[in-house]
Amino acid sequence: MDGLLAIKDLHVGFRIFEGRLHVLNGVLLDVREGERVGLVGETGCGKTTTVKSVLRVLPTPPAVVLGGEIVYRGRDVLKMSRRQMTALRRHELTAIFQDPLQSLNPVFTIGTQLRDIVKDSAIGQGRRLSRREVEARCIQALQETGMPDPERIMTNYPVQLSGGMRQRICIAEALSTNARLLLADEPTTNLDVTIQDQILRKLDELVDEKGASVVMITHSMGVVRDLTQRVNIMYAGSIVEAGGTRVLLEAPKHPYTRGLMASVPKLTGEGISEGIPGRIPNYLDPPSGCRFHPRCEHRMEICDQESPPFYEIGDGHRAACYLYQEAS
Amino acid sequence: MNDHPILSVDHLVKHFPTKAGVVRAVDDISFDVAAGDTLGLVGESGSGKTTTAQCVLGIYPPTSGQISFDGQPIGVVFSRRKKELKRSIRIVFQDPGSSLNPKRTIKQILSVPLKVHGMGSTRERLSMMNELLEMVELPPAEYLYKHPQSIGGGEKQMVAIARALATNPRFVVLDEPTSALDVSVQGKIINLLMRLAEELELTYLFITHDLSLMRNVATRVAIMYLGKLCEIARTERFFRAPRHPYTKMLLSSIPVVTSDEESLKPEKVVSQGEIPSPVNVPPGCSFHLRCPVRMPICSQADPEMRDLGDGRVVRCHLYDDEAT
Amino acid sequence: MQWEERRTDLQATLAQRRRGLARGWYRFSRNPLSVIGLAVLSLIVLAAIFAPYITPYPEHAKPYTNFSAGSLPPSSTYWFGTDRVGRDIFSRVIFGYRFSLTIGIVVLGLGVAPGVILGLVAGYHQGTWIETIIMRITDVFLAVPPLVLALAITAMLTPNLMNQMMAIALVWWPWYARLVFALASSLRSEYFVREAELTGASKLHIMFREILPNCFAPVMTKMTLDMGIVILLGATLSFIGLGVQPPKPGLGTMVAEGAKRLPGEWWGTIFPALAIVIVILAFNLVGDGLRDVFSVEEV
Repeated sequence: MDGLLAIKDLHVGFRIFEGRLHVLNGVLLDVREGERVGLVGETGCGKTTTVKSVLRVLPTPPAVVLGGEIVYRGRDVLKMSRRQMTALRRHELTAIFQDPLQSLNPVFTIGTQLRDIVKDSAIGQGRRLSRREVEARCIQALQETGMPDPERIMTNYPVQLSGGMRQRICIAEALSTNARLLLADEPTTNLDVTIQDQILRKLDELVDEKGASVVMITHSMGVVRDLTQRVNIMYAGSIVEAGGTRVLLEAPKHPYTRGLMASVPKLTGEGISEGIPGRIPNYLDPPSGCRFHPRCEHRMEICDQESPPFYEIGDGHRAACYLYQEAS
Repeated sequence: MNDHPILSVDHLVKHFPTKAGVVRAVDDISFDVAAGDTLGLVGESGSGKTTTAQCVLGIYPPTSGQISFDGQPIGVVFSRRKKELKRSIRIVFQDPGSSLNPKRTIKQILSVPLKVHGMGSTRERLSMMNELLEMVELPPAEYLYKHPQSIGGGEKQMVAIARALATNPRFVVLDEPTSALDVSVQGKIINLLMRLAEELELTYLFITHDLSLMRNVATRVAIMYLGKLCEIARTERFFRAPRHPYTKMLLSSIPVVTSDEESLKPEKVVSQGEIPSPVNVPPGCSFHLRCPVRMPICSQADPEMRDLGDGRVVRCHLYDDEAT
Repeated sequence: MQWEERRTDLQATLAQRRRGLARGWYRFSRNPLSVIGLAVLSLIVLAAIFAPYITPYPEHAKPYTNFSAGSLPPSSTYWFGTDRVGRDIFSRVIFGYRFSLTIGIVVLGLGVAPGVILGLVAGYHQGTWIETIIMRITDVFLAVPPLVLALAITAMLTPNLMNQMMAIALVWWPWYARLVFALASSLRSEYFVREAELTGASKLHIMFREILPNCFAPVMTKMTLDMGIVILLGATLSFIGLGVQPPKPGLGTMVAEGAKRLPGEWWGTIFPALAIVIVILAFNLVGDGLRDVFSVEEV
C-alpha cells in the first residue's frame, strides 16, 4: 500500500479576544491507499480542525497555519493554489459530516443535488454525460447505499426523510465522485443504534468496492473497532498513540488511551471508572512538553519539558510517551 | 424499605393528534419502579421513552391510563400539580447547553428552585448553593458567578444535577444525561449520580440509548419499541439472556470495544429497514415487519405482556404459552 | 459575618460583569467603522448637552434677529454662515441636535418598553387568546404607515415637539412587540424554560427573568438602529411644518427654511441636512458594531 496522505508536524492556531489558541500541536498522521484509518479523540482535541485543514476549509482569520505540511500524493496541500485546491476537492477528496441536515440543502430535492454532483464530477474528468446517464448514475448511487425506492427519493426534500436516510444520501453523494480519500467526521453519531449498524456496514462494503481510503473521525471506540484497520488517538492537538486497531484497543499503551478505554462502559458490567481527572488544556496557555502531563498519573520530570516523540512499541504500534523510551 | 413502588404506571397511553394522523407515542404501557431502584428505559427513535418520561413529569397529560407516585395519582399536567410534587420529581435534561439559561449566572440558576419552594432566607440560600456545588465537586467560589458558556459540558451537567437535587427530591428523571458528553467525563458524572442515589435515597428513571452504559447503571431495564414495552428484566438477566427478538437485535448491534464484550453479545441479528414512524404503526405486533422470527399470528394480533417470573416481563407471541 | 459574605458576593458579581463588558468592548473595537461611529456619536451627544457653553452664538438659538448679518456665507466668524435673519447656523445646528436626540430618546423610551412587554406576554402565551388579542392589535398598528399616522395625529393636535414625539411613539411600539414576540415564542421551547416551569416558577419569573434576558441583544441593536430612523422621521415632520416650530432650531425646520433659498444660499440647507445624515450614520455604525458584539462565534 502506498502513501496517500501524510500530515507532517501540523501546527494550527486561532486568534481570539484573549490571545492565540495553539490548537494543533504537531499532528502526525498518514493514510495509505485503500486503508481505513480511525481518528479518535474527545471534544476539543482538534480532530475536526485537522480534517478541515486537509480540506482547507478553515476560515483563515481567525485560523492560522503555524507550520507543517499536508502531503497528498506527493504535493503539499497547504501550498496549493485555489484552482488546484478546487480540483482536489472535486476529484480526490470527499467528506461526510455529522449532521446531514447541514450538508443537504433544504430547498432542493435530493435529485437536484445528486445530479449536480454527478454532472460536476464527470465534467471534471473531462466527460459530459447525457441526462439519462446522469439519472442512471444517481439511481445507482442511491441503490448502492441500500435505499429502498430510489426513484421516489430523488423527488423528496431532505426534511421528508429520516436521519438514517439522509446520511445514506450524504454517503451516496460522497462516493459518487469516485474520490480516493473519504473523510468521515462522526457520520453516525446522531443515529439510532440499529441504523448506525446498517450504515456503517454499508459504508464498509462500498469503500471496499471502490478501493477508497477512509479517515473515520469519531469519539466512539466501538465504531472504530468495527470499521478501521489502524487507529490514531488524538489528545489536545496531537496524536498520542497509533497502531493496528484491534491490538491497540485490547492493550492500549499511552496513559490517555488507557484512561479512555477504562472510561468506556463495558457490556461485561464491571462498572465505569471515574474517568480521567482534570480537564482538557486551555489552548491559550497549554501545558509545556507533553500536553497530557498534568492529568497523567505516570508523570515524570521530563514530561513537562519537551513533547515526547513517537516511540515504536510493536508492529506499527507507537506511542508518544516517555514511558516507552527504552522499549523502542 | 416499603413494598409499594414509588412510581407506578398503569396502562399509560399518550396519543398526539396531528394533521398527518394520530401519533401513537405511548401505546398502553405498564411498569413499576421500586424506591431506590434505577430503572433504565431504552429505545430508538419513536419508541416513546421520552414521551413516557414527559408524562411522568407532567409535561403532557396522559390520553388515558394512570400514573401514581407514592400511591397518589399524579396523571395531570404540571401546571395543575401540587407544589410538593414538583419538589419530589425532578429532571436532568440531555443537553446541558440549553438546559442552563446562557444569560444567567450559576448562582441565579441555582436560586430558582430554592426560591420557588421557599427554602430559607437569602443568606441560607447562599450557603445551600455552596453546599450543592460542593456536592457535585465544583468549587463554589469559582463557579457561582460564572455563566454557562464559560464552563465545560461536563461541568454544566454537574450544575444541572445540582439544580435537580436542590429541592431534596425523591425521584429524578435522567434523560440521556451524558449523551452529549465525552466518555472521559461521563464516568465522573455517572459515578456521582450513583453515589448520590445511595446517599440521598434517590430513585432514578434513566433514559439512554447507550446499552453499554445501561449495563453498568440500571438495576432493571425496560425496552420500548413504537410506544410499547417489549421486555423488562433485571439488568444482568436482560443482557445475558434476552428474550424478545428486538432486544436481541439491539444488543447484537452495539459497537463494543473488547473481545470479551464481543463474546457476550447475542448472535448477530441483522437489522433491516427503517424504523416505522409512530403515525404508521404496523398492525398486530408493531415489530413484526422487522422481526427475523415472525410467525403468521404476529401480523394479526398484538401480543400480551407475559410474566416469566423473577421480575421479567415480555411481550411477544413466542412466549404466549407462558403464564400471564 | 453576614456583611463579609454579602460583600464577597457583590464583588464577585461585579467582577464578572466587568469582564463581560471588557470582552464586549474588544469585539466592538474589532470594527474600525463602529468605533468611528461611536466617537462621532459621543461628540454629538456631548456637544448637544453642553451646547450653551460651546457654541459661539448660543443666543441665536432663541428668538433673535440681526438683519445686517443676514445671509452671510460661511466664514471664520460664522462657520456655517448665517440664515436670512442673521442667526449663526452652526450654533443652531448644535442646538438642533438637542431636539433630534430628545425625539429619539423619548420616542424609544415611550415605545420600546410597552412593545417589549406586550411581545413578551404574547410570545409566552402563543396559541392562546392572549396572543391573538395582543398580536392582532399590533397588526392593526403596523398596517398604518408611520408618517401618515404621525401626520394625522399632529394635524389634529397642535403641532409641537411633544405631540410629535407621542405620535411617533404610538407607531413605533408594534415593531418591538413583533420582534420580541418572535424571540419569546421560540425561546419558550428551550430546555431552561421547561425546567423553570417544571420547578414551579411563576409565569412572571419565566417571562422576565428567563426569556427577557435572551431578548436583550436584538432589542438593543434594533434600538440603536431605530434612533436614526426616528430622528429622520422627526426631521421630516418638522420639515413639513408639523414638528419643531420656528423660530426653534429643529434640524428639519432649518432645512425647510433654507430650502427656499437654494441654490444660491446653499449653506442654509446643506449644513442642517448634513447634520441629520451624520447623526443617523453614526447610530447605524454603532448599531452594526453592537450586532457584532452580540453575535458570538464559538471557535
